[in-house]
Amino acid sequence: MRSFLPAVAEQLFKDIQKIYEEKSQIPDDLLIALKFVFGSCAVQALDLVDKHSVTCLSSPSGRKAFQVTGGSGRLYTCFTSCHYCPCPAFAYAVLRRNDGLLCKHLLGVYLSQAMGLTQQESVSDMYISTLLAGGAAAS
Amino acid sequence: MVDVLTHVFSTFIAKGGQVSHVRGGLSSPCSALVVGDRSMSRSVLLLAALTAVSRRGMKVLFFTRTQIQTLPPSVQSCLPNLSPDSLKMIKFCYPQTLEELLLQVASLHEPVNTSPTAPSLVIVDRLQNFLCGPGGGGGFHQGEQSCAAHLSALLLDTAAFLTQVLECRAPGLAPCRLLASFQLELEAGPADPGHPHPVLAVLDRYFPARCTLDRDESYAAAAAGLEEVWRVDLSGAGPTDPTDRTSQEWQLVVFTNGLMEFRSV
Repeated sequence: MRSFLPAVAEQLFKDIQKIYEEKSQIPDDLLIALKFVFGSCAVQALDLVDKHSVTCLSSPSGRKAFQVTGGSGRLYTCFTSCHYCPCPAFAYAVLRRNDGLLCKHLLGVYLSQAMGLTQQESVSDMYISTLLAGGAAAS
Repeated sequence: MVDVLTHVFSTFIAKGGQVSHVRGGLSSPCSALVVGDRSMSRSVLLLAALTAVSRRGMKVLFFTRTQIQTLPPSVQSCLPNLSPDSLKMIKFCYPQTLEELLLQVASLHEPVNTSPTAPSLVIVDRLQNFLCGPGGGGGFHQGEQSCAAHLSALLLDTAAFLTQVLECRAPGLAPCRLLASFQLELEAGPADPGHPHPVLAVLDRYFPARCTLDRDESYAAAAAGLEEVWRVDLSGAGPTDPTDRTSQEWQLVVFTNGLMEFRSV
C-alpha cells in the first residue's frame, strides 16, 4: 500500500519488515513503538495479523484490493493505494475526530504486508468491482 | 491534474498576458478538486475535458448526474473550431445515485473499459449531487463523510490502477488524471476556516490539489464593465515538501459575449 503516513510510521513498518525477515518475531521495543504511534488499535491489529485475517484479492485485470476479516467475522474491503475502511472506527476516529492515523483493519494490512503474512486469493473482475463499490459480492 | 488545469488556464490566457508562477510552484499531483459556483465549475471541467481531448489526444470519462445537452456558451466561445471527433473522445456517463457512480467507477478496470486504451482523465461533475442528501440539498447527514471518503478513495485507487495500465500500453498518455467538482451549499453560509464543511474536509484529505473559484464582486471588477470576474486559486502540495501547500492565482473573466479568458495574477 502506498503510504500516506508520517515518516515515523513508515520507518516503523520498514524496521518491522527487516527484523521480522531475520527473526520471525517483533522485539519488544518495536511493539512499544507501535503502541506509542498507533495507540490501542496496535494490539487489535496484531491480533488480526496473528489470525491471518488479511487477504489480498487479485482479479485477471490486475486490479487488487485488501479484504480484512474483523473480529466478528465481518469483511472489510480496503484499497491498495490510499486509506479507506468502511468500519465505524475509521469514520469516527479518523474522518470525524481526526485523532487517529488508521483503524485496526488498515493497520493490520500494513503489518501483514510488512511481516509477509498476507493471504492471496484470485477473484473475477466483476467480483472485485462489486467489492470496491461497497457491495457484498456473491462468491 | 494540475498540469491539465494550468494547461487550460495558459491556453486561454489573455493575449499578451504572462504566466507568472508563484515562487516554488506546484508539484503536479494527478488529482484535483474544483470548488465553487456550480455552472462555472462545470464550464471549467468541460473546458479541461475538451482541451485534454483536442490538444493532448486523451481519452476522457465524464461522470455527471444531469444530462449535458449543449456546451455552455463560454466553452463554445473558447473552442470555436472544435471538431465533432473531439467530442466523441469524451464518454459521458450519467449515474443517478451514489451507488451507481461507485459501481461504474469500480468497473473501470474491466477490459471493456480499458481496451483499446484506458482513460487518461476521469472527471466527476458536482460531487455534492451524490454525497449531500437528496438532490444535493443542504444539511449534513450521518455517513456523508464516510461516503465521501469511499468515493474519493475509489476514484484515487482507480486512477492509480489506470495509470499502471497506461504506463504499460500507452506511456505517452500516462498518468491517469482525476478531476472532480464540489459546491458548498449556499445555506451553509460563508466558509469558516476553523470549521470547514464536513464533506469538503474529507475531500481535501484525499485530493492533493484544489482549484477554488470565488466570484470577484469588487468595485474594480464592476467598474471594468465586465460581466463576471472570478478569482481562481490553484493550491496544492509543494514540489519538494507535500505538507507545504503552495498556490497559484489566476483571474477568470467571462465577457458579455460569453468568451472566457484567464489572466495570471
